[in-house]
Amino acid sequence: MKRVEASTTPAGTTGLNADRDSGGRMAMIDIRRVEKRFSARDGTETTVLHDINLSIAPNEFVCIVGRSGCGKTTLLNILAGLDKASGGEVRIAGERVEGPGQGQGVVFQQHALFPWLTALENVAFGARSLPIGKPEKIERARELLQLVGLEASAGQYPREMSGGMQQRVAIARALALDPEILLMDEPFGALDELTRIEMQQELLRIWDARKKTVVFITHSISEALMLADRVVLLAPHPGRVARDIHVDLERPRSRTDRGFNVLYEQIWGGLST
Amino acid sequence: MRQQLVQIFVVLIVVAAILLGLELGVRAGYLKAYEFPPASRIAEGFVELATVGFPTGVTIWSHILITVERILKGYTAAILLAVPFGLLIGAVPVLDKMTAPLIVFFRSVATLSLLPLVIVWFGAGELTKVILIGYGCFWVMLSNVVASVKYVDPVLIRAARSFKANGWALYREVVLPAALPRMFAGARIALGVGFMVIVGAEMIGTIQGLGALIMEARSFYRSEITVIGMLVIGILGFAISTGLATLEHMLLPWGRSLDRVQR
Repeated sequence: MKRVEASTTPAGTTGLNADRDSGGRMAMIDIRRVEKRFSARDGTETTVLHDINLSIAPNEFVCIVGRSGCGKTTLLNILAGLDKASGGEVRIAGERVEGPGQGQGVVFQQHALFPWLTALENVAFGARSLPIGKPEKIERARELLQLVGLEASAGQYPREMSGGMQQRVAIARALALDPEILLMDEPFGALDELTRIEMQQELLRIWDARKKTVVFITHSISEALMLADRVVLLAPHPGRVARDIHVDLERPRSRTDRGFNVLYEQIWGGLST
Repeated sequence: MRQQLVQIFVVLIVVAAILLGLELGVRAGYLKAYEFPPASRIAEGFVELATVGFPTGVTIWSHILITVERILKGYTAAILLAVPFGLLIGAVPVLDKMTAPLIVFFRSVATLSLLPLVIVWFGAGELTKVILIGYGCFWVMLSNVVASVKYVDPVLIRAARSFKANGWALYREVVLPAALPRMFAGARIALGVGFMVIVGAEMIGTIQGLGALIMEARSFYRSEITVIGMLVIGILGFAISTGLATLEHMLLPWGRSLDRVQR
């Protein structure tokens, strides 16, 4: 699948050359020498992430795979601007990440919808920081619910919805600011297998329609292979990049495809060593 | 609705079984009537209470009215004070650290142990009773309000922050609504405390109120009247608690009630 490369280059950005990958195009997300350490109460320090370097191109779909405790979620929180790195830096379109709302939309592990708001209100909350009036926000939320196929459930509360529907609303909410980047932290981990496959197809459809850069965390190898252009393996203690594997499979992909299984074995091997 | 009917049915059966057991026990001579008042005596006592009153002139209705009034006064004052203080303490970690031991301490002091001191300070009048009830309700409500704010699901806060909500907006739009269910639960527990304290609070300086009724009946060996006082307190507590739950479901339609719909 061929996709159009982003042609916008922010002028006057410092370190412009460093932000370009070998192909000479601007990286959407540039992660440089990122470290994360936590100090425990007894004064000992744990290194959760060590020397993470990744450059992610515009519209690229990257899955980060690793065992529990390898710092996947911490890395995502740093990309989201919700957590600060202890060292190194993250740049989005050349701009250093200082906090949330610099073009990142986040979908969390548990849907993290506000239980007191309806589906529509939850999505409209996503647009809260936009300088537009309330009717426009509602209108925008309605369009996004339509995009995820839930316009009929606009008035329902999260508790009245199934797990799959909840995650759809969460995706719509994350898209409310029309972010360049979608950060997803094991969004389908709690769903049953069938719903999960449906949601993967749904996500690919949305990604195709809206052209986002996606960083998707999962510990399912087959999920990563169904979705990603690129699979990054994180190794634990301390969390570091172990492998960076390009997935050159045609979409739509099939789990029974030979190439799929070759890559599956390769990733499985990378994870078990 | 069906669940509620089942609940009421179970309560009625348990009460009926106890009453029947006592009646038969006394009639057969195994139990003494002043130790275990049988249902027939209780019924007679109730008629007496409803018409003549006990002590004469004070009917059960005025006992109920007085008690409810005292509980509501102390309870409402406690809630009105505890909510703002709790919201503040819960939102400011330093305040929480400073006050946590104090709250545990004051909550642990059995309310009735304050009775002698409160009488010395405020006399044996209405104010003393209301203050005791308020004291009991206040600390329970306060610790619940603090916890409701403190233990808001952190993932909701992270989600809100990812949409650039912070400071006061974060507190108002996310922390407060997320804290409401637990605050309502606290309000219900506090009400229970109010009913626990009432009997003790009405022990002195009054012949009116259900607590006074129970103490007065004791000194005249009218145990059937004690039982009536007990039952009425139970029914009142149940009714007001149900009222609060209904209010909660009306104000927070997104809350627990929907769980039931889902099931």
